[in-house]
Amino acid sequence: MNLLNYILRRILLMLVVLFGVSLMVFTIMMLLPPGMRVAVYVHNEKITPDQLETLIDRYGLEDPAPIQYCRWMGNVLQGDFGYSVTASAPVTQGFSRYFPITFELMLIAGPLTVMVGILLGTIGAVHKDKPADHFTRVFAIVGYSLPTFWLGLLLLMLVYGYFGIFPPGYLSDAGKNIIFSEGFTNYTGIILVDGILNWEWGVVLDDLYHLVLPSVSFVILASALILRLTRSSMLEALGQDYIRTALAKGADRRTINKVHARRNALIPVVTVAGLLFAQMMAGLVVTETIFNRPGIGQWIVRAALQLDVPAIMFNVLFLGVVFVTVNLIVDIIYAYIDPRIRLY
Amino acid sequence: MSAQTDSTIRTDPMIETRDLYTNFYTFEGAVKALNGVSVKVRRGETYGLVGESGCGKSVTVRSMMRIVQAPGKIEDGEIRLFLSDDHKQKAIDILDRSEAYMRSIRGNEISMIFQEASASLNPVFTIGFQVGESFIFHRKAEMIEKTNEALTAELERGAPAPVSWWKRMQHALFTREHALLLHYRTRVAEIDRQIDELEGAEDPASLRRKKSLKARREREWKPDLVLSLVKRVPFLKRYQKRIHKTIRGEVITLLESLGVPNPQNVVDRYPHELSGGMQQRIVIAMALACHPTLLIADEPTSNLDVTIQAQIIDLIRRLKETSIASVLFITHDLGVVAEMCDRVTVMYAGDTAETAEVAELFRNPLHPYTQALLDSVPKEEQEGELATIPGTVPNLVNPPTGCRFHPRCPHAMEICKRQKPPVTEYAPGHSVSCHLYPAPADNAKESTDG
Amino acid sequence: MSDSHKTEIVPDHTTKVLTDDAGFEVAAHPRVQEFIFSAKRFLSNPLSIIGLIIILGFALVAIFAPVLAPPENPENPYRIPHAGWAVEPQAPSEENILGTMEQQYDVYYGLIWGTRSAFRIGFFVVLANLAMGLVLGSVAGYFGGLIDEVIMRITDMFYSIPFLVMAMALVVAIGRGLNSIIITLIVIQWTTYVRVLRGEILTVRENDYVQAARASGASHLRIITTHILPNSIYSVLIVASMNIGVTVLAAATLSFLGLGAEIGYADWGQMANTARNWIVGPPGNRLAYWHVVMIPGAAISLFVLGWNLLGDAARDVFDPKMRRK
Repeated sequence: MNLLNYILRRILLMLVVLFGVSLMVFTIMMLLPPGMRVAVYVHNEKITPDQLETLIDRYGLEDPAPIQYCRWMGNVLQGDFGYSVTASAPVTQGFSRYFPITFELMLIAGPLTVMVGILLGTIGAVHKDKPADHFTRVFAIVGYSLPTFWLGLLLLMLVYGYFGIFPPGYLSDAGKNIIFSEGFTNYTGIILVDGILNWEWGVVLDDLYHLVLPSVSFVILASALILRLTRSSMLEALGQDYIRTALAKGADRRTINKVHARRNALIPVVTVAGLLFAQMMAGLVVTETIFNRPGIGQWIVRAALQLDVPAIMFNVLFLGVVFVTVNLIVDIIYAYIDPRIRLY
Repeated sequence: MSAQTDSTIRTDPMIETRDLYTNFYTFEGAVKALNGVSVKVRRGETYGLVGESGCGKSVTVRSMMRIVQAPGKIEDGEIRLFLSDDHKQKAIDILDRSEAYMRSIRGNEISMIFQEASASLNPVFTIGFQVGESFIFHRKAEMIEKTNEALTAELERGAPAPVSWWKRMQHALFTREHALLLHYRTRVAEIDRQIDELEGAEDPASLRRKKSLKARREREWKPDLVLSLVKRVPFLKRYQKRIHKTIRGEVITLLESLGVPNPQNVVDRYPHELSGGMQQRIVIAMALACHPTLLIADEPTSNLDVTIQAQIIDLIRRLKETSIASVLFITHDLGVVAEMCDRVTVMYAGDTAETAEVAELFRNPLHPYTQALLDSVPKEEQEGELATIPGTVPNLVNPPTGCRFHPRCPHAMEICKRQKPPVTEYAPGHSVSCHLYPAPADNAKESTDG
Repeated sequence: MSDSHKTEIVPDHTTKVLTDDAGFEVAAHPRVQEFIFSAKRFLSNPLSIIGLIIILGFALVAIFAPVLAPPENPENPYRIPHAGWAVEPQAPSEENILGTMEQQYDVYYGLIWGTRSAFRIGFFVVLANLAMGLVLGSVAGYFGGLIDEVIMRITDMFYSIPFLVMAMALVVAIGRGLNSIIITLIVIQWTTYVRVLRGEILTVRENDYVQAARASGASHLRIITTHILPNSIYSVLIVASMNIGVTVLAAATLSFLGLGAEIGYADWGQMANTARNWIVGPPGNRLAYWHVVMIPGAAISLFVLGWNLLGDAARDVFDPKMRRK
């Protein structure tokens, strides 16, 4: 009952934050001249300059801000985000085309990042001030300091350029031929899953082959944050009285590290999962751009460069919603792993 | 128990430290927390360790269990534990044993309860899990036996098909683990016996042999391929839940015997849901799960209400009468000492100041620090203000030279600054470490501050 | 911390015990003692010294930039000189000791003057944020109530959007260029400072000395400036020192994505952006354009690494939770 109450309250709070996020996106949009904002409402591709005036008039782009907000919000709630020049399609269609590519990378690299971060963080804390710890600390600080784009460029230059393996892009031409052919059914849009469902293992392997470098670059950089957090909270947990109690009970080091300390140490790590997600998104934008994967991240960059306002606004809004949802889930997980929280 | 056996029991040693030095290597420098501590707890007695906070009481007992955590390190000295084995006492040199051996001792032969029960309990695990861990660590074979008995009974009674299949698998896996555990126990016992035989031997061949035996003791547990595989497979690994059911029953019985109300409910609670007194009972239950011979209580009543304090002390005293051979009781409360202990050692800044029977100590305190300590306790016929001890406990990175008490001592002499006073037996059973009581020339131990 | 062995063994450093062995005679002022202790601790860590050396090195380069790479046009020193418009980058030669980038811009010149750009971005953003954080954070933390609620909900909203994406949206809205990036980062990053300072003030506020000052009728401003900020500012300063690296990294990323300065401007991120077209060399010499890829990226990495090392050390030294470990 308590837990249910808690979740309901969180959802309420989430709605408030979402309202704020939409306000913020709207404010950014209002910084633009009406001529650029008009794209958010228009659906056909070309707008000629003489059309512009009438369109601005028709959509009331010079009305007071609150009225414009309500009109825009009305469209958004109906799933109408306007036309994206960079996707050459309405925003929602562009999204359904690009999202699976991004999702695929997250599917491979996300869990890997978390595992590497937690594992190395635990090792670092357990072997504090030993060589293993120094290694993890160097790894973390490098991961923190190296610009994502530079690591990507270096990997491309050495691995792809010099050795000629792991090319950029998302599929080879042969693979693309297969997935765009008649016999290939698009179940999910995620090539990895579709490949298996169509029993085209060549496509699956090709896809994985292209995922190697982006995943490596992503994991090296994104796991640094988890590593540092795990290490410091693990160190804190290892210094607690209950560790001494476990020792006095006759527990071995392994049980102490893996059961008694880590369960406690993961609590603060889970609480920052939202922050982590934001960092991953930033990493994703750059990773996709460098490795030329046509996902959400690359779309955002192209939209920003070509001033494709509808696409940018949609993605900011979308990521805001995802972030807030992630935080809600985090709060629920948190309540589950830390029994103390349920008191409130 | 006749007076005769009572007195012999009380002279047999239980655990003994000799000239124990433990340092903590902090950023400010080495904190010399123990400065040659010698205490001797006898079988059957309640032994008190008294002193201000920071005097090294807790470090002493943690050294005894070898759970001094980094940056602390036991630098020198000897700790001997006497376990009775077929009515013979065998001495075990704790500092010279493998870590695996120590683990089998901790929580099994020697147990410890801590001050601040709320911090001593892991906040994210249930009471049942935390108390039950003691059974997992030390009584797993017995728990498996019980589980398998129950399983066999259930199978004989006849369970429906899929359930019986599951139970048979559980039974088979448990049987396998049980055999492994027993095998491990016999092998380890054999290694321990060989190490025991080498106890005290100093020649290089024996030392080398001992070293290899210790290494073997550490490596002796070999995980079983089948079991470790099954324990990793999701769903299949749930077969272990059955043993936790057995353990849960044991925990409930244990908690009941310690006077915990409504134990069926308490086992599924988390520590923060219990009161302070109840938490301390849980910590005591954890310590007593495997019937230790020595219970170390490290200020178990600080931070508790007075009435709860009385209950906990009463509980420990009752346990001492019924199930534990010796209790080592740490406190800064002289009233508790007078109430509970047979003998007592007063510690000051990592030194043992004075050791005596409790009555003797209160009647005839010798060390100036003991005298000051007793003067600072209110008495029935108290008149005027209470005496205090001037100054504070010294910084142990740069402890005072010679006798560590000399900067605060009203009787300080020239020699006190230069030389650490030896421990002298002033009267039978009453020893003191102070230059005011010079030792008989023949057995004076010369030692200077390190 | 309730752990008894810690309270037992860690001696109190703010009030040294008077002992009779020659050593301490009269205890120094606690703050002075604390500072000496911190400085010693800071300098005893090899990593912080490496960080210090890196940053001092970059600072020297930035200061002596006109000497190291005299600008052709002193009016506009951030324009990298270039000879011709040939597209292909040239390898290091006597004329261009680090080679040239696309359109023959001199890499060495860009490297030197890019140091100034990096410092400018880092300091501008962090100082502006520090100011915002101090004002808004103390107001929110000290007064509490509705004003606190409003400020904190606003920071929540800023927190809800991944910061790089938000930055891109803002840059699009206010136009490209290095100055837009600076403004964008200021707008986005202030929330961290406010949150940290507010949290710190909430704990300091409850201290007896603040209550005493309040009871004696001191003004709010005076209480904040003399009692609250001196005791809570460390945490924000640590965040600031750690954030310089993060800020420069973010700015470089935005520049790299093409939202920063135009080509030919001495900015490392922008230089790395041009490198994207020259990752793979011609057949037979695949690493022909290594200098275009390596040099700007290495400069950014080293710069950020230096600040991160300093920030880490500062946290270890000044953070009361970490310092005695």
